[in-house]
Amino acid sequence: MTDQSLEGVPSIRAVRFPLRWGVLCAAALIALYVIPDALSNYWLRTFISAAALTIASLSVGPLFAQVGMVSLAQFGLLGVGGWFALRISHGLGAPFEIALLCAGLSAALVGLIVGLPALRMRGLYLAIITLMMAGAIQVLISAFGFPDGGPGILGKSTGARLMMARPFVAQSDQAYLRYAVVVTVFCYLLVLAHVRGRPGRAWAMIRRSEVCALAGGVDIVAYKVWAFALAGFLAGVAGAVLAGGVGQLDGSAFPASQSIMLFALTIVGGAYSWFGPIIAGLMLRAFPALLNDFRVDGNIATMVFGIGLLHALITAPHGIAGQLSDLAGRLRRVLGRERKAGP
Amino acid sequence: MIEIDDLTVQFGGVRGLSELTARLPESVTGLVGPNGAGKTTLINVLSGFVRPTAGRVSIDGQDLKDIAIHKRAGFGIRRTFQNEQVVENLTAADNIRAILDNVPIDGRPRTALIEQALEFVGLAAKGNVLGRDLNAYQRRMLEIARAMVGRPRLVMMDEPGAGLAQHESEHLRDVIRQLHGHCGAQVLLVDHDVDLISATCMATLVLDFGSAIAYGPTASVLAEPKVREAYLGMLEDAT
Repeated sequence: MTDQSLEGVPSIRAVRFPLRWGVLCAAALIALYVIPDALSNYWLRTFISAAALTIASLSVGPLFAQVGMVSLAQFGLLGVGGWFALRISHGLGAPFEIALLCAGLSAALVGLIVGLPALRMRGLYLAIITLMMAGAIQVLISAFGFPDGGPGILGKSTGARLMMARPFVAQSDQAYLRYAVVVTVFCYLLVLAHVRGRPGRAWAMIRRSEVCALAGGVDIVAYKVWAFALAGFLAGVAGAVLAGGVGQLDGSAFPASQSIMLFALTIVGGAYSWFGPIIAGLMLRAFPALLNDFRVDGNIATMVFGIGLLHALITAPHGIAGQLSDLAGRLRRVLGRERKAGP
Repeated sequence: MIEIDDLTVQFGGVRGLSELTARLPESVTGLVGPNGAGKTTLINVLSGFVRPTAGRVSIDGQDLKDIAIHKRAGFGIRRTFQNEQVVENLTAADNIRAILDNVPIDGRPRTALIEQALEFVGLAAKGNVLGRDLNAYQRRMLEIARAMVGRPRLVMMDEPGAGLAQHESEHLRDVIRQLHGHCGAQVLLVDHDVDLISATCMATLVLDFGSAIAYGPTASVLAEPKVREAYLGMLEDAT
């Protein structure tokens, strides 16, 4: 009864090898410490945006992969989060962490409203309704713009635009990239706790079928609403991270079409894998930047994404992340065979 | 104890159940009848998926109309489905844990309850196997395990015996026979397999066109001429 177009693909896998993961974590920490210092300003900012977009993609993935629901409003919710982050930061002079949390909570609230139609609709109709919500958010944002240090509720300044205050511990671009990565990790942990806990099991039942969930005592309304609120929270946090990275946000940067792009690239990256959102984030921000670096028009990326989406829909429902893990599995088998064949 | 009073279910112009009245006190009760007789409709009314047009159903004296659909599992009304509904991307153990999330467990450790249930249906070694990797029979058994954890009052099974091999069918019979003793739940069994019904059910209710045409000890009910007529479509004067 729920959207099961990619039925039969694996759920997000559980962590099984503590030792290997320990080594990976250590390597990641070292990389986190070393790499930002080696990057140019341009790439620092690109990766900060990519981290924010990874969180945004993470908000799309679980909704789709776990509950089987499509939301095309997530980039709009990013804008909502960004708006509240800027508003609170400029208006109250609150620390970045408070702005981040408020951005998440306010976007969760809006996300919950976006999700209300999900209680009655699914599949294409739900997608269209959420896209219309994204359109509504786009209109509001382009009409009112983002706060930039001015007075009043809208916070529009007539003079120079102020930059959003960054976290106390992360004033420089390098430090802020590290900070953004840490926030991303926290978002991942939040999703992991959900997926492996009670909500994850309830979502799996709902995705199997609503009669299955009802017969198992799952309160479908509550868990669907909760899924949308969680997705909204993550999108809001992503918006705040983006706002902190750039310092201000552009009223024209949150069109509804970006929500579709975000959803499409989450599918291309791999909605069912933990690496999928990272790949999606990199594709959305780092790939166009890479093209620019090679003096190729970054807009060509859109064409490449279209081809990638076709490829994903036709041959790789697990997305790029699924293909990578298939490839790794194949390599491991080949290596294992060679080791057995050797002395 | 299931009490059904004047239960009518109307689907547009079709009557799924027609003023059905019955008292079902036995621990394992069969529910038989030809296709379209209203067996699955009755189960769906008990589960809450179908709202009765008129009449009343109660279990252990509790009127079911006061219990929301998603609260019925917690109250103790459980079921398996004609098309099994095992969650493919959860392990067998997590399939059961997903039910334990929503039903009373009386403070007992979940892991122990899960192991107990898996062992009872013969899936003790399959706890960590994903739903999709279980075969049709194992899925059927897992559904039964899901239905019997956490203080059930009534376990309804909708054609659990369909498409099973001989030895699987025998194991199913053992499981159904022992279910009441194991968890204390009343069992309501819908099946076309008269052998399965005779082997497991103390009493049987026969439905035809949404009404009860017979109720009593299984052997004598199944021998009644009107039951044979409804089932086999034979006219009395034609014989």
